[in-house]
Amino acid sequence: MIEIRDLIYTYPNADEPALKQLSVQFPRENVFAVLGQSGSGKTTLLNCIARFLTPTSGSIHIDDRNIADMTELEFRHTLGVVFQRLNLFPHLSVLRNLTLAPEKVFGTTLSDARKQAREMLDRLGIGDLADRYPAQISGGQAQRVAIARGLMLQPSYMLLDEPTSALDAQTTQDFAAWLTELSSETSFIIVTHDLPFAEMVASHGVYLSQGEIQATGNVADILQQVQQPTS
Amino acid sequence: MNRFFLNSYLLWLVCCAGLLVAMIKPAHAQPTADEKPLRVALTGKFPPFNYYNEQGELAGFDVDVANAIGKRIGRDIEFVATEWDGILAGLLGGKFDTIIGSMAITPVRARQVNFSKPYYHSGAQLFVHRDNPAQVYSINECDGLKVAAVLGETYQQYLDQNYPSIEVVTLKSSVEIFELLQQQRVTGFVTDKLVGSWQIKQADRPFVPVGGMLYSEDIGIPVRKDDTKLLEQINTALDQIKSDGTMKKIHQKYFGLSATVSGSGKSTMSDAVIAKKLIKGFAVTIAIAVASLAIGFVLAIPCGVILNKPKGSMVILYWPVRTIVDFLRGTPVLIQLLFAWMGLGLSPFTAAIGTLGINAMAYMAEVIRSGLMSVDQGQVLAAKALAMNRMQTFRHVVWPQAFRVAIPPLMNCVVALTKDTALVAVISVSEVIREAQAIISVTFEPTKYYFIVAVMFFIVTFPLMKFASMLERRIAQRGFSRD
Repeated sequence: MIEIRDLIYTYPNADEPALKQLSVQFPRENVFAVLGQSGSGKTTLLNCIARFLTPTSGSIHIDDRNIADMTELEFRHTLGVVFQRLNLFPHLSVLRNLTLAPEKVFGTTLSDARKQAREMLDRLGIGDLADRYPAQISGGQAQRVAIARGLMLQPSYMLLDEPTSALDAQTTQDFAAWLTELSSETSFIIVTHDLPFAEMVASHGVYLSQGEIQATGNVADILQQVQQPTS
Repeated sequence: MNRFFLNSYLLWLVCCAGLLVAMIKPAHAQPTADEKPLRVALTGKFPPFNYYNEQGELAGFDVDVANAIGKRIGRDIEFVATEWDGILAGLLGGKFDTIIGSMAITPVRARQVNFSKPYYHSGAQLFVHRDNPAQVYSINECDGLKVAAVLGETYQQYLDQNYPSIEVVTLKSSVEIFELLQQQRVTGFVTDKLVGSWQIKQADRPFVPVGGMLYSEDIGIPVRKDDTKLLEQINTALDQIKSDGTMKKIHQKYFGLSATVSGSGKSTMSDAVIAKKLIKGFAVTIAIAVASLAIGFVLAIPCGVILNKPKGSMVILYWPVRTIVDFLRGTPVLIQLLFAWMGLGLSPFTAAIGTLGINAMAYMAEVIRSGLMSVDQGQVLAAKALAMNRMQTFRHVVWPQAFRVAIPPLMNCVVALTKDTALVAVISVSEVIREAQAIISVTFEPTKYYFIVAVMFFIVTFPLMKFASMLERRIAQRGFSRD
């Protein structure tokens, strides 16, 4: 479970905090959704959870451990991140994108890392992409490669930032089915403004608006709630 | 914020200026131990007084006089071939101990240095083309016409002062002047009567002396003002050489009726010697280019990183590096070379490699900075998400991408620097241009040898340029499709 306690984040030189004393729990589910429109604070929250931003005050706990107390290696083993723009390393092949961190950071031998990476790609159904470069694969394929790269560190949780922003309707559907299958092993948290996609893959979630929690619970209920014009 | 940066920038400029002033220590002449060889400067391009003979060795009237003096005062002679227009500055800067290179004694020079007694006398003479289209028969008939003289020689000042209506054209050496007169782009030239006559004969040019000597001058040996002991030794040696007949013998050898400088006719330098000199010179050129490029590239990486996004403790390095890079890019390389050589007292080779090296650093640092800037910040975050530390991120993610972007402009830097090595001839490094000048001073074939040197440069730079444009095309077409 990811627990957020009284989280405030104010950007340097900003008057108002982007996250206003947020307290919320993400139970460990197959796929959990963090919803909200642009500017609602979703990405700021994601950056705080991923330790890219240090909260102004408050704390974040994963499975009852304060993430601020974890070592970098420990933390990255606990939580993986896939960026909205994926950020695959363009100068490296797909296989090398997957093996770089295990080899250089975690000390796995290159041949072991390659073996693990090929297994991972096969398991995710993209084994044929191993020797291609990021510029040579489609958006949907790149999305899967980015997830595979994150999964190489075997994290308990995986954060996906706007995973459908670059996908068309059909690819989104395929991706949803693929993710659902995969989520039996890893717990995914998707941060998205794509409500129909959220409904396809997640049962529970939270809805953020202007740096505050507006609704929590069943995704279908949340959608109903937020899609009704506020009276 | 801006004001703060402006203030700290100005502070840096002041600090750097202070540092520079502190570094320009007056290069005083150390009292030389007598066993040390006497360093004698000459140009090696002033035949028959000093030039390279067919074996590629220094020879000539001045060289023989210098050796005779060395024998009398009991010291070996070490010849330093250097450019004429910086030769006095080199003496004052302690680059060598004296100049035995046919220097005329003038009041202006005598203010800076002490001259020995004259060791020969010569005079200024006007020479014109045999066709003489302007019908000039003396210097007084040259009003409004172009008359050439070698830059830095006394004839130039003499003409400026005494014949203000003559348009004086100054050139680097008599070789260029001969070309100009051959093409009749000047009416005539003024030079030493002896030298001029000898050169015209060597070069087989249709030039003739007209009118009497403009004036005669005394040729002496200058030493630094504080070097009184050496002056005394030289004067004593000159007296001995004159009284024991050595001087007469040397004079006979070069200017006696039956004497020619190098045997007979126009035999000057053999093709083998010329080829050897050019190849040796070009090897020096390439060595300087390679060494300074290596230094420049190694230094440019940290500088580029500091200029890109200084973080943590690197912030304090930003302004020093920025200032140095801007200063190097904003001042002529030639001035920097002369400064390193004379101001800092470095040896010519060290000054050349050092100056070109830090110049390469300045230009490459900017290229690397822009390469680093082109790498998306998301790449750094992605590496962080994979638990990579800053060094791992730089080494495996940021640098490989920045470097690919930087390769084509870096190759341009390589080409530019290779060509800049031509400048180091000025600080008397025996690279290919200097060797060519020495060859030309004897062969009188500037077009041929400058063209050969140009081709030598082109053979090196052309593949580099082709390689750069090929890489550029590949990167544009395929993006990062190859590791």
